Amino acid sequence: MTRTFPYLLLPHLWSSRNRARRRERGDLPRGVMFGGVGLVVFAALFQGSFWLAGHLQDYEELGDYLLRIGLSWLFLTFLSFLAFSGVVTALSTFFLADDLRLLVASPIATRRLFHARFFRTVVQASWMVVIFLVPVLLGVGWARCAGPLFYLTAIGTVVPFSIIPVAAGTAVTLLLVNTFPARRARDILMLMGLLFAASLVIVLRFIRPEQLLRVESLPDLTDFFATLQSPVTPILPSFWAGETIFASLAGGHDLMHAAALWTTAMASIVVVGAASERWYFSGYSRSQEAPKARFTHFRALDVIASALPLSTVRRQLLVKDLKIFLRDVSQWSQLLLLLALVLLYLYNFSVLDLQRIPYMSGYLKNVYALLNLAMAGFVMATVAVRFVFPAVSSEGAAFWIIRTSPLPLRDFLWSKFWTGLVPVLALTEVLTIAANQFLGVDPLLKVMAAAAIVLMSFALVGLAVGLGARYPRFGADPSQAAGSYGGVAFMMQAVLFIIVIIVLVGWPSSVYLLHHVRHAPFTIAQQLLMPASLALAIGLSLFVWLSSMRSGVRALEGMGA
Amino acid sequence: MIAIENLVKRYGPFTAVDGVSLEVPSGEIHGFLGPNGAGKTTTLRMIAGLLKPTSGRILVNGHDLAQEPEAAKMSLGFIPDRPFIYDKLTGGEFLRFHGGLYGLGEPVIAERVREMLELFELTRWENELVESFSHGMKQRLVMCAAFLHRPRAVVVDEPMVGLDPRGARLIKDVFRRMSERGVGILMSTHTLEVAQEMCDRISIILKGKIIARGTVAEIRAMGDGHDDHLTSVFLKLTGGSGLQEIDEIV
Repeated sequence: MTRTFPYLLLPHLWSSRNRARRRERGDLPRGVMFGGVGLVVFAALFQGSFWLAGHLQDYEELGDYLLRIGLSWLFLTFLSFLAFSGVVTALSTFFLADDLRLLVASPIATRRLFHARFFRTVVQASWMVVIFLVPVLLGVGWARCAGPLFYLTAIGTVVPFSIIPVAAGTAVTLLLVNTFPARRARDILMLMGLLFAASLVIVLRFIRPEQLLRVESLPDLTDFFATLQSPVTPILPSFWAGETIFASLAGGHDLMHAAALWTTAMASIVVVGAASERWYFSGYSRSQEAPKARFTHFRALDVIASALPLSTVRRQLLVKDLKIFLRDVSQWSQLLLLLALVLLYLYNFSVLDLQRIPYMSGYLKNVYALLNLAMAGFVMATVAVRFVFPAVSSEGAAFWIIRTSPLPLRDFLWSKFWTGLVPVLALTEVLTIAANQFLGVDPLLKVMAAAAIVLMSFALVGLAVGLGARYPRFGADPSQAAGSYGGVAFMMQAVLFIIVIIVLVGWPSSVYLLHHVRHAPFTIAQQLLMPASLALAIGLSLFVWLSSMRSGVRALEGMGA
Repeated sequence: MIAIENLVKRYGPFTAVDGVSLEVPSGEIHGFLGPNGAGKTTTLRMIAGLLKPTSGRILVNGHDLAQEPEAAKMSLGFIPDRPFIYDKLTGGEFLRFHGGLYGLGEPVIAERVREMLELFELTRWENELVESFSHGMKQRLVMCAAFLHRPRAVVVDEPMVGLDPRGARLIKDVFRRMSERGVGILMSTHTLEVAQEMCDRISIILKGKIIARGTVAEIRAMGDGHDDHLTSVFLKLTGGSGLQEIDEIV
């Protein structure tokens, strides 16, 4: 008689307990930082939804109507996120997780293994959505003075709502693993990444936020609401969830939609469980085959690398890093999402019609230019912590090759720096220049922003490489390194650095622009402080860049001492 | 205890295991030898229920693995070449979890965990996290887990890799004692000395097919008769070229 499925969750619970008991270095600052950020986000979401729900109440029926559509939209967005997250998580939990080798060889019924893995998949895929929904629904309930029944209904709605898309995602994964050549199992991630990015673009395009700024379109309210309501269809669980919660908010019950949610959730578990019993083992067996190498005949990479003015050693390091990166789909598929978000970001700037605010447009444009610079800085920090910070850690168990070779560790680390710098600089420069072009900001600000990006790129990539060398995690997955002590330390320092640079570059730029508009001469203090401020920005960037690299090299050289 | 009939495993056009039949009766230690890439690990992983055979039949303690997977796995212990152990569990927690997977009750688990930790000289590490274990200790912990539920048959993939002489001697003694108690052991190894010393019978696999089978004496007789060791006959049967690497030449 084997144990029931919750028994299979015990190792994760025990592991979490052991991890909590044996604190690691950096747990406290990490906890403080993540906890602090979490609290701020929680408070902002609560306040935002409280404010919105409160104001909508002033418009009676129209307010209720907008709140109802808003809830459906909120759940619709999460529905697509959960389905995508379900596919990716199920691929990992059902087919790629290391402990499956132990569990599949044990006398456990497939159905029990399915239930345990499905539970884990639902939790892993939906925790972010749930954490987001809690303050939002609390805010809405608070604003409408809802009773305890509303909160119970919310829990009873979110649970089946999370199960349904994750079950669909699990079914898709099961199908894909059994249909596609098994050697491409991880490629599914890339495919799903593309689909998700595309769906994100489409969903956001549906909203057409630029319409909200066009006053002349307001009389045609029917069209506006029709557009707003077009993707909200009654056959989707997001609609059922929205309706159930809205009815409860108004003090009533919508048992039909609640029942639809629960019966569909239960039925989907039964159906996917049955499918899993039939096809899981064949899929798992196929997923163990060695993945086929990509880019084995990608000669262009070697040709380009050989054309670069690099020493043989640096060329070989570059080619090795690029090939490993390109062959690991889980690494670069995340770039697709980033690309989609960047495109959306630029698209939003292109449709932002600031000319409609005549007295403010010039001022707003330049404020936006500085905001854009800050945003580009944060994108840069995010890309750096995810892709540049783990550069040393990604050597993993093979780092002995570097350490035992005659290659100076200084050269090794600088090779990592240049490999990281080029894409980060290119991405953020394009982002900044294109956004400023769309905004039509002052030419001086364009130049200043482009120059600031160069400074920030050198400093942040240097900081990421240096801290990555000081706090390497050779055993961990590169994607996990970002959440380690070093990763968190990098993010804190990076954010601080970006803020300081924005102030040092933004202040002289805004002073210059004000004088340019008013045609007034600069004061002597301004004439002295403006170049000093810019010089300080340059000096600080150079210091962060070079000192981080030097400390990284020292850490590598002192390794094992 | 273990019987496999015409086992085939294909990966697209490549046949990794090609019609292998094998029988490991109760109390026998059966060596499974072959050069790298010959199909040893694939065969063992199919017996352990980790890979689905393209065709063929696997019986463990009389249970067909395809028809009664749980009953078959209940009678089997599997020691993989690269074992997975939860790093953040202690040695004792890992063994208790493992015992539960095989349906053992709490009192039985407690007694067997103590017994196995003593047998494999890991008692003082019971409450330490697995992540702090050396390779050899992890290997011994996995062996504790494999024998914890008193299997009728054990499948072992490269048991001696990374073990010091004392650890290797311990494993050999345990395997011998288990086989005396009637456990059938199928063991893949590159170490011909180990095979020669421990195995009652040996099968040699090459390119997915069994090319020789018999007792150590019978296999040795297939060589030129001048060598007391299995090395020369192994090289003769498997081609012995530099391309087919042998990890250890005695």
